[in-house]
Amino acid sequence: MKANPKDVNTGVYYIDGDVSSGYGALAAGCKFVGGYPITPSTEAFEAVCRRGPLVGAMFIQMEDELGSIASVVGASWAGVKSMTITSGPGFSLMMETIGFGAMLETPFVLLNIQRGGPSTGVPTKTGQADMMQSRWGSHGDYELIAISPDSPQEMFDYTIKAFNLAERYRCPVMIMSDECVGHMTEKVVIPPADEIEVEPRRFYDGPINEYLPFKPDEDLVPPMVKAGDGYKLYITGLIHDERGYSIKNEEYKFIYTKRLVDKIRLNKDKIIELKEEETDDAEVVVVSYGISSRVAVRGIEKAREKGIKVGSLRLVTVWPFPDEKIAELAKTIKAFVVPEINYGQIAFEVERCSHGEANVILVPHGGAGVHNPDDICDAIEYAAKEKKRIEGVIEYKTKLEKLVFEEGYKLHE
Amino acid sequence: MAEIIFVGFGGQGIIKSGIITGRGASIFDNKSATMTQSFGPEARGGACSTQLVISDSKVLYPYVETADVLVAMSQAGYDKYEHELSEQGVLLIDEDLVKPKPPRDEIKIFSISATRFAEELGNKIIANVVMLGFFTAVTKLVSKEGMKKAVADSVPSRFVELNLKAFDRGFQHKKL
Amino acid sequence: MNPIITVFSKGIEKSGIKPSKVSVPSDIPFGSEVVNHLGVDFFHTIRGRAIPFGTGLKLGNPALKVVPFVGDLMTLGGNHFVHAGRRNMELLVICVNNFVYRKIGGQPAPSTPVTFSPYSTFEEPFNIPHLGNSCGAVYTARWTALHTDELANSIAEALNKQGLSVIEVLSPGPNYYTKIEDIESNLINFYYENSVIKNGEDPKNARITPEEKIVVGKFTDKERPTFIDSYNAQLSKVLGDKFTPYGGKNG
Repeated sequence: MKANPKDVNTGVYYIDGDVSSGYGALAAGCKFVGGYPITPSTEAFEAVCRRGPLVGAMFIQMEDELGSIASVVGASWAGVKSMTITSGPGFSLMMETIGFGAMLETPFVLLNIQRGGPSTGVPTKTGQADMMQSRWGSHGDYELIAISPDSPQEMFDYTIKAFNLAERYRCPVMIMSDECVGHMTEKVVIPPADEIEVEPRRFYDGPINEYLPFKPDEDLVPPMVKAGDGYKLYITGLIHDERGYSIKNEEYKFIYTKRLVDKIRLNKDKIIELKEEETDDAEVVVVSYGISSRVAVRGIEKAREKGIKVGSLRLVTVWPFPDEKIAELAKTIKAFVVPEINYGQIAFEVERCSHGEANVILVPHGGAGVHNPDDICDAIEYAAKEKKRIEGVIEYKTKLEKLVFEEGYKLHE
Repeated sequence: MAEIIFVGFGGQGIIKSGIITGRGASIFDNKSATMTQSFGPEARGGACSTQLVISDSKVLYPYVETADVLVAMSQAGYDKYEHELSEQGVLLIDEDLVKPKPPRDEIKIFSISATRFAEELGNKIIANVVMLGFFTAVTKLVSKEGMKKAVADSVPSRFVELNLKAFDRGFQHKKL
Repeated sequence: MNPIITVFSKGIEKSGIKPSKVSVPSDIPFGSEVVNHLGVDFFHTIRGRAIPFGTGLKLGNPALKVVPFVGDLMTLGGNHFVHAGRRNMELLVICVNNFVYRKIGGQPAPSTPVTFSPYSTFEEPFNIPHLGNSCGAVYTARWTALHTDELANSIAEALNKQGLSVIEVLSPGPNYYTKIEDIESNLINFYYENSVIKNGEDPKNARITPEEKIVVGKFTDKERPTFIDSYNAQLSKVLGDKFTPYGGKNG
């Protein structure tokens, strides 16, 4: 289905990633945004608040993030595409309801403009340390989808994709962006509506009395209905059967949980998007996502100037994780280099999937800034030279780290 | 590729200068321009800066490594960022606000009383646009037409005329 | 069937609203047979979030009548309740107050008056209609579960109010699986017999104490612009013709 021309502000803009994501949401047909302002995501919320009313999208500034995420799940069940926008502390508050949304198989999009943590951390500066939280933050077994754009243009394009995936797989989709991309300003081309593909909700169209809200189609995703249409919906966060009624039977619990994870896992190939460059004869592959992939580009260029064969694997989709791709590359290369603005999150996933076939080198960054490309280049050089197979994740000591830790952990003047 | 840093203090329209230049380059001159900013409490009243990378091809690495151009509208900003300017760099200053050190290497310095000219035009708030006119004439990184369109696009309609006047004032200063 | 549900059903019928247009977000699981009987859409949400979930339902489809049935109202949901009042969000909040977390063992709750728990409690309870009224609710009432006619009337009235309505129902058990004959009839009779109807009473005078009779009745019935009204008015003022008012009274 094509986007509704009314929802799309076709044109060429010079805007930041936050605003671009807001425009993307509206172009995707988002009609409800519940949020609570938090740096550095406020520009995105402001963009939807400013433009939303012109295209019939309702916004509400809720009393807190507990309320905003709950309102988004509610609005989705009322039948409209819904979104919330937040950052670190707000993201933490939302965790219980994200699991609830996954359990109810509710389509919605969550934009997280990551900032430096933990706790209040560095509100105005960047971080990539919520990646594992986005995957495992709510209790219990579930799967969801997370995307990590690296430019304002991608913030537009992938916000639309996030809505499309949420509707197709009836699950929460996270846009795991960060302050750098959120506050980076570049040209953004918003195409005409007839060039934008949007996924409509999978509405059930059979006889009303035969509808079962959790009876999956062949791809394991059940079609949906909305409140108010006479289905006598019974929807609960308790483990439930196809009717939605709670069940206590242990086997049913197995089946339900397995379907909840398998509807994502078994559709992985259709969900995952990667950008792969020069990996064919590479000895080292840099695995990166979000702003770190833009920074890695310089590091890779510098390493190539030194004659090192280095490829790049950019995770546009971070969750579900491309296990098979990593395993396949691990067999042909010496090492992975993983620069991320944290002390090791995705690097451990890369290590898990490489099955000991390649070294995995984490290039850490404590946050509030990005890597120096020279540090990434140095790590690539080290990776190419290291002949031993080293178990576990190797934490590379960057120049920045050496400088910072000159006097150990001393913080005062 | 050109790497530019604009510095000043909060309230001088430093971020806006980056947006206008980036918009001129990317939308009207059809180049790539990536703007990043130093954002936060330190930007209010203190040193405020924006970085801009302009390139004929897609800008991949979005940050300034060595600046080709430093536009300084405050002494504190100049002191903080001067060392980032390359050996062949171009330094533009508001001469009433910045007293530069003796020039190092082959750095070329271009001076303008941007704030004073803006006051003469009626409002010191447009000092940044005077500076942009001067910047355009000196660096030729963005076309004059592109910059003027970007200025007109970036200010409220009732202030367009005044801003274009300010731009021209700065642009002509190069010729004097 | 729990008597409150029977009364709720009667209330919906009296209001003239189609049950299919009623959505009930709750933090207490209803029995599935209850929902089938009522003919509403039912959402068992997480503790405390029935009000913001309901807010999303209402704003997602303004034609819905949303009735949060809440248990953890004054604890996890306290702030949501306060803000729903401030905004005059179009919700009918039904708070079934059994004074304790009955289902999980009878621990005292913030609505527990002194002397109701094994060793007594020492915290001041909330006066729910008074709090709702103070926060801006357009309709507040309190009944015991045995005031069946009065409660049904209140529900019907409140369903047709524009804005936040709050009805507190005193009942010995919020357990909707419980059959009427299993309910501790002594206790419910005790509430009923120890109550006094004072319609129009200022709810601040309706504090529940062990010494005094329980004041029940309809306390608040006023008009205020709802959230959607205010949203439409403000955006129409600023945006003029570019803005199409959202929803409207009947969606």
